[in-house]
Amino acid sequence: MGIPTTHYHFVMKTRTITFIVTKDCQLLCKYCYLVGKNSNERMSLSIAKQAVDRILSIEDKFLEEKVVWDFIGGEPLLEIELIEKIIGYIEYKLQELKHHWLNNSSIRITTNGLLYCSEKVQRFISKYHDILDISISIDGNKTKQDLNRIFPNGKGSYDLVLKGVRKWVMQFENVATKMVISSEDLPYVYESGVHLLELGVSRLDMNLVVEDVWRDGDDKILEEQLVRFADYVIEHNLHQDRKLFIFEECIGKPFNPSFESSPCGSMMLSVDSSGSFYTCLRFAGYSLRSKKPRFIGNIKDGINYNLLRPYCILDELSQSPYKCLKCDVATGCRWCPAENYDSSLTSTVFERSTAICKMHKARVRAKNYYWYKLNRNRN
Amino acid sequence: MLQYLIIQLDDTSTSYCHYYNGKRNRNLISIDTLKSGIMFGMKENLMIQYILPDYELPDEYYEVLESIDHSKIASSGSPYASVADVVVLNGWNKDYAFDIEGVYVLRVDKRTLFEKTSEILKVLKECARLNIVITDVEKFSDADFETYKSVLDSFSKELEALYVAGKTPQLNLLTDRMMLDGMNNCNAGSDSITLAPDGRFYVCPAFYLAPDDEDYGLGKSKVSVGSLASGLDIKNPQLYRLSHAPLCRNCDAYQCKRCVWLNRKTTYEVNTPSHEQCVVAHLERNASRALLMDIRKHGTFLPEKEDIKEISYLDPFDVRKEW
Ligand code: SF4
Ligand code: SF4
Repeated sequence: MGIPTTHYHFVMKTRTITFIVTKDCQLLCKYCYLVGKNSNERMSLSIAKQAVDRILSIEDKFLEEKVVWDFIGGEPLLEIELIEKIIGYIEYKLQELKHHWLNNSSIRITTNGLLYCSEKVQRFISKYHDILDISISIDGNKTKQDLNRIFPNGKGSYDLVLKGVRKWVMQFENVATKMVISSEDLPYVYESGVHLLELGVSRLDMNLVVEDVWRDGDDKILEEQLVRFADYVIEHNLHQDRKLFIFEECIGKPFNPSFESSPCGSMMLSVDSSGSFYTCLRFAGYSLRSKKPRFIGNIKDGINYNLLRPYCILDELSQSPYKCLKCDVATGCRWCPAENYDSSLTSTVFERSTAICKMHKARVRAKNYYWYKLNRNRN
Repeated sequence: MLQYLIIQLDDTSTSYCHYYNGKRNRNLISIDTLKSGIMFGMKENLMIQYILPDYELPDEYYEVLESIDHSKIASSGSPYASVADVVVLNGWNKDYAFDIEGVYVLRVDKRTLFEKTSEILKVLKECARLNIVITDVEKFSDADFETYKSVLDSFSKELEALYVAGKTPQLNLLTDRMMLDGMNNCNAGSDSITLAPDGRFYVCPAFYLAPDDEDYGLGKSKVSVGSLASGLDIKNPQLYRLSHAPLCRNCDAYQCKRCVWLNRKTTYEVNTPSHEQCVVAHLERNASRALLMDIRKHGTFLPEKEDIKEISYLDPFDVRKEW
């Protein structure tokens, strides 16, 4: 049997608080959703402290038992010293307030891996190792990584990142990574997946981008690549100890209201360098193509709970077109409130973007194949 | 399904609802636009409602207005108040002479409502129906909720006495919920649409009368949904329907206006109400429940209606996980 993965809606029982510490990054990844990256918007320690003060002062609004302090960019490791100072301040305030998140906090950093081996980062890792969940975004093999994750001069980043990845896999158990799949990457999905498993990644997410980038025939390519990947996983018995979210058993069932709910409003909060609060960084100006930033408050005035309400009640029923509600393989089809908003006609999060439709169906066919082969194959 | 066409005859025609009309310069709909609007209403099989201005219309207009079945809304200061189906009072005027058969909208801010409760409740026996519209619902504080509760209690006592005396006055805040078995909201954008003097359609007059530069965050408040020339074109029309309002479709404050204009202003989403709108509506709902039980203590009343059930929340948002 493969390891069943939990549907992502049910694993998010913890509040995630994201600090967008910088909007700068060394790379210019082709699919990056952060359309407004820049080197000017760096979070100051003073803004970060005010954000912490504001968040911890409303303990009654954040009743989740645990919290993940999440640091993101751009490339967050460019600001490792700042991150360390923010964490120091959080620890101090949790103690001072005897807050219920004291001893219930963890740290998450998602990095491109380029600075992973630097002395400062390594010092940070040894200090926080036990509560640190660090994830290196790597797209797979050299071809795929160098196709997308490139420096401004066009040079690929694979060789530099690989050094970090090897160290990361040794330093942490059960490392997880997310591979982003866009249209150009499709021919490399199989090789990249295999490569990541060979590197020792034990929890692998393959995310199909939700933006409208898919071309005719892309679904066929994805299906074929994933079927090959499924064969590889099973032949090498990797299904026994690796978590492969792309083949989640629970996806691909008819629409089921019990799977509805968005974690954005009730589980997440992000703050940027100006001190503005968002549910998720995808609502910040630098991640939106065509819409205004959508704040839910700021460090000075606090959170506007009326502006938070739509995210907390955004369910599949209210946002989905008829074809989704009637879809036989609806469950697990990705939707993103911010992409809804960005692509909507009326600046609403309630207009579901369905650009991913045919790609989800291809994923479901490959997932069916995977489980069929595991459970019902007579050979 | 679209059922009503509201025609705002002039920029200065009174507000009859939550929105404020700050327009002071007359801008009468052209006679051709009016005729085309009526034609549109006929072809779409819509009931027409005119919002009349506070001045005499040229005779040719009046003839066109009267050429078709309609209802009239006019302010108490309009020359058409005496023939209007609904008369709007902008603010409280204790000296106003109500008509015992008349239907009135009283637009008041919370402060006036709270301070003048004892005067306003006397109107209940002077007219057939009173619709109180609170013009600053979105500004209610926790203390205001408490005050509003006691204001509703005072209205309830008056209504109870009148019902016991055999009268049947209607007050939207309290008697509607007693009579209703399902949602009876404003439904602008879904059941009704507004034609403005510029020949364009709007979800309701509020979306036309908003100042040109008003923007609460995500875009201009003034937004049209098509025109007589190009046809009705509501983007995301489903979001105006109850079926696509996740809180409201699970709610039983049936008398609530579910004001999509206030929703957009306070939460950026036409299908998501603010905390204040929900709590105010639930205070009314709960007061209606108590009123129904109190009237029934005196004898049989609305025997075909079930009791309104007791609930423990004032904002459905707080119990959303239990649906
Ligand atoms: S009380 Fe709130 S949830 Fe209920 S109908 Fe009114 S606005 Fe909607
Ligand atoms: S949406 Fe309806 S309730 Fe709200 S202001 Fe317009 S007409 Fe009134």
